Amino acid sequence: MERFVIIGAGAAGIRAAQTLRKFRPEDLITVISIDDTVHSRCMLHKYLGHERDAQGISFVEADFFEKNDITHIAGEKVTKIDTGLKMVYYGEQYSAPYDKLLIAAGSGFFIPPIPHFREAPNVFGFRDFSDALKIDEAFLKGKRVFIVGSGLVGLDAASALCERGAQITIAEMAPRVMPLQTDDYAASIYQKAFEAHGCKFLLGVGATDAVVDEKGNITEVILATGEHIPCDFIIMAAGVRPRIEIAQNSGIAAERAIQVDDHLRTSAPDVYAAGDCTGLSGVWPDAAAQGEAAAENMAGIDTVYEKPYPFKNTSNFFGVTMLSVGRLDLTEGAEILIHRTPKEYKKAIIKDGKLTGYLSLGDISNSGLYLHLIKNGIDVSGKTDKIFRLSFSDFYGINEKNGEYAYSVS
Amino acid sequence: MNSCTGCLSRNTCQSADKPMEDYIRQLPLETAHHRVEGQSTKCGFGLQGVCCRLCANGPCRVTPEAPKGICGANADTIVARNFLRAVAAGSGCYIHVVENTARQLKNTGLHKDKIRSEKALNHLAELLGVTGTDKYDLCVKVADAVLSDLYRPEYEPMELVEKLAYAPRVKRWKELGIMPGGAKGEVFCNVVKTSTNLSSDPVEMLISCLRLGISTGLYGLQLTNLLNDVVLGDPEIRSAPVGMNVIDPDYINILITGHQHSLFTYIQDRLLEEDVVAKAKAAGAKGFKLVGCTCVGQDLQLRGAHYTEIFDGHAGNNYISEAVLSCGAIDAVLSEFNCTLPGIEPICEELKIKQICLDVVAKKANADLIPFDYETRQADGDRIIDEVIGAYKARRGNVPMNLFTSHGNRNTLTGVSEGSLKAFLGGSWKPLIDLIVSGKIKGLAGVVGCSSVAYGHDTLTAALTKELIARDILVLTAGCSSGGLENIGLMTPEAADLAGPNLKAVCKQLGVPPVLNFGPCLAIGRLEIVATEIARELGVDLPQLPLVISAAQWLEEQALADGAFALALGLPLHLGVPPFITGSSLVTKVLTEDMTGLTGGRVIIDPDGKSAADKLEAVIEEKRKALNI
Amino acid sequence: MKRIFIDPTKCDGCKNCSLACMEAHRQDGGTGIYTLDLQDPSNQSRNRILTDGKGGYNPIFCRHCDIPDCAGACMSGALQKNMDNGLVEYDAEKCAACYMCVMSCRYGVPAISPDRKRVIKCDFCAHLEEGPACVRACPKKAIEVREV
Repeated sequence: MERFVIIGAGAAGIRAAQTLRKFRPEDLITVISIDDTVHSRCMLHKYLGHERDAQGISFVEADFFEKNDITHIAGEKVTKIDTGLKMVYYGEQYSAPYDKLLIAAGSGFFIPPIPHFREAPNVFGFRDFSDALKIDEAFLKGKRVFIVGSGLVGLDAASALCERGAQITIAEMAPRVMPLQTDDYAASIYQKAFEAHGCKFLLGVGATDAVVDEKGNITEVILATGEHIPCDFIIMAAGVRPRIEIAQNSGIAAERAIQVDDHLRTSAPDVYAAGDCTGLSGVWPDAAAQGEAAAENMAGIDTVYEKPYPFKNTSNFFGVTMLSVGRLDLTEGAEILIHRTPKEYKKAIIKDGKLTGYLSLGDISNSGLYLHLIKNGIDVSGKTDKIFRLSFSDFYGINEKNGEYAYSVS
Repeated sequence: MNSCTGCLSRNTCQSADKPMEDYIRQLPLETAHHRVEGQSTKCGFGLQGVCCRLCANGPCRVTPEAPKGICGANADTIVARNFLRAVAAGSGCYIHVVENTARQLKNTGLHKDKIRSEKALNHLAELLGVTGTDKYDLCVKVADAVLSDLYRPEYEPMELVEKLAYAPRVKRWKELGIMPGGAKGEVFCNVVKTSTNLSSDPVEMLISCLRLGISTGLYGLQLTNLLNDVVLGDPEIRSAPVGMNVIDPDYINILITGHQHSLFTYIQDRLLEEDVVAKAKAAGAKGFKLVGCTCVGQDLQLRGAHYTEIFDGHAGNNYISEAVLSCGAIDAVLSEFNCTLPGIEPICEELKIKQICLDVVAKKANADLIPFDYETRQADGDRIIDEVIGAYKARRGNVPMNLFTSHGNRNTLTGVSEGSLKAFLGGSWKPLIDLIVSGKIKGLAGVVGCSSVAYGHDTLTAALTKELIARDILVLTAGCSSGGLENIGLMTPEAADLAGPNLKAVCKQLGVPPVLNFGPCLAIGRLEIVATEIARELGVDLPQLPLVISAAQWLEEQALADGAFALALGLPLHLGVPPFITGSSLVTKVLTEDMTGLTGGRVIIDPDGKSAADKLEAVIEEKRKALNI
Repeated sequence: MKRIFIDPTKCDGCKNCSLACMEAHRQDGGTGIYTLDLQDPSNQSRNRILTDGKGGYNPIFCRHCDIPDCAGACMSGALQKNMDNGLVEYDAEKCAACYMCVMSCRYGVPAISPDRKRVIKCDFCAHLEEGPACVRACPKKAIEVREV
């Protein structure tokens, strides 16, 4: 009987646990997580917006651990791994032995080196359930919120709090909102939607300093322009960093992220890593896929994990939906096609007969194939006249054996 | 013909006529009843009337993702346009029938041919305000009055409308601007309207349906009957056999299908003449017999008192024709109009039955065409007779007999018309009005129109009729509904037992069934004359009468034109299935709700006999209450 | 598990499958094609019939894939592969409408609801004993349920 230990209960950790249980119905599986409950960080805003309770933002059934006979060590932080003894240490004095270990510790928010920001008790991230609890508490005392960063995390927090009557100011260094996923037009649509809900944007501006009270709480953010923005608390959404402390403390190779090979093995024997902490991708589906691949390898099923295609996202704020795949920023030598109606905005970037970027704002139904086309570099030359109406019908094929579809690409 | 019996073991549809259902199921030939199953998957867009194939951009279909056709037409336009097209085509059919009928009367006058009812002629001349030097001249004048109206352009009002229609209705029609112009012109104009990228105004198109309804009803229906009565004789109430038992294999049997009794005027008499009978006898038969089927069979049955020698009786409605032919004892089919199913063709082929068409508009693919022409009727008639005798000789003994002698009954009350019923009541409507006022008869329901099979053969018609009579509502029928109901015995005096206690007592006392058979669909015009005369006697308008119409199993475009007449008359009109309109909420609302404010009528859609009867009874109760009776 | 097998060569593009799907999933409480509102976006079909550009049709139906991209991408647990019946099941209550599934289905099957709060995806007519309405509605037998 093997002992499997998983650090982290996010997308990668939980998927790994599920996969291990599938292939190893009898073995011991233990999940250790900082949060008490399993939650989907992509739904954290639904908790913060008081739309759902804690169980409502879980992505597994309430009895997931019991049903799958998995030990869940909740609310405990792993401090160190002894890769020689094959032991995980957590809490004050506890340890867990393993035969195979998966580190799926995720990533943490990053605070840039702005005076007072790293020390102030009223500067929060928006990654973990505990972050949401802290913000919820702070919100009882003051409703003026300053958000640093207008990426998906910042806008998630903003959308949740503006529904609750917050006065929100969002500072974005880039000249538009969601700079990684949008172009100027798409960004303007989202900006207008948030402004209509009372949010204020400061674009192309960064915070450079802050005014603090006697307890060290930031009461005013000072912008590069010298302007002072009063606030009750701050949410940092200016980027994340893979959590590598455990690896570093344990002699596992990690620089910016934990290093893994194509089987998601770390430098230490029988220690694997998956999800954000590997730095391979920052989106949920990839983290989950890594969890699955790592677990298969841990279970002895040789699985090569192919590098993910990280440039992909969808967003849905106030019913404004967007699909953004590929590199919208790389337009040199590319053909850019745009389709715009009062209800829709679509943009395709084509280079050497292949789609390299695709943006769709509006009804994004049935548009999953664009990711597939971009990720796999499928030739679309000859189809550019209907680039915004491509469907699987254009690549139709059927796997006669099992009735599934199969791309037929010439 | 498919000889694989395995394929024929498939299900047939249900029929209100259970013995017939069993008979059809065992047939070694394919009928419409067999084909229902294979066509059970209906096109939803078609059912809702939102499939448009008026142009090469189409077919366009309305979906949530594509709510408009390529041209920009929305569901309301598409539905209204399809509906008006159907009504216009249906109107054209009836106008064709009245045109031929008037021409027959005119030729009869010009050639001083046999006139069977001078009474009918004088009545009609009086109604139309026409005089003549003698009865033949009068025939010509009456026919000309009708024909000249039909041939008027659409922008010129027809002159007979005000003479034929009830004054309060004419008043309302003038207010609504729906007095029809020349009947053929109306069809023409409205077909134009519905062509590609012409009218897009759904309300205007629905109003046009009413105008077409008026010309269809007054001319195509009412006048056709009255013109035919002159030449072919007045209906007389009598008891007659119905169903497949009427077929006598000892005779050379000719099945007649269609709607134009006038086209049989010559041949039905000729078949009785000595030399022709001698030919039949020489071939080994006792003589000739006509077997009734579809509405023209109903017409012969209605006037059957004049044709007892040649007319065997009515075998069944449109969807029985294939079964009737399968019995083996039919030697020829003479057809002149619709309800002649293409499905009979392979059966005729297989059983060597001669098919002859008398009118090119209903030319069947494998039939001979001998169009009726007054001038050449004698030579044509003899040719037809020889062809039929030839078929008789070739087939008898060589094709299997599959007679169904137990089918139907021999005491169906027929021959009911506005004239014969009034005479039966003692020359006045008062006895009927008294029964209605006293509540012994709660109201009148015209259960009219066709027979269809897609949802069961005559099943809704029969279920609804039984429900209505059980509620003391007297049912009057016209069309293929008559054929279905008579075969299941609802027009025999014994059917009184199925009626509610009050109606039953009335029926027993008078010796009549609770369902009175006015004959063919054309006789819907007769029902409406009855209604008008009752309304006149009561001094009320038609919408006030405790009268409802149901075309429960409407089938054809003609039925929709009839229905448009009922709506123009202000009558509540029940339909079992929607006429391909539900894809437009506007059209549906206008027809089922707003029409009340326009004419007083409205469409009631209900596929269930009991709940439809509930609704119709409620309408009757409501109207009784308003009349304080 | 069962899967709807497709023979595109038999498809005539009548869209009866789409109407049957709309009827099977209508939320207005009505029944019967005559009252199905064909203009209401909330009645959209879960299957689509697309032209193949050569005069034929390519039916696009959820495959309930053995390894479903959509469920793999779901961050709310709303979409899950049920290993007992093989279906990719959807729980609208759990769904956070992030539309990662829309992005991830390489065949472009999932659609988004008009209110942008749900995903529109085949449920194999789990509420109907007779099985998928689309299959029963196909006059050409271009789609049929088979065991795999």
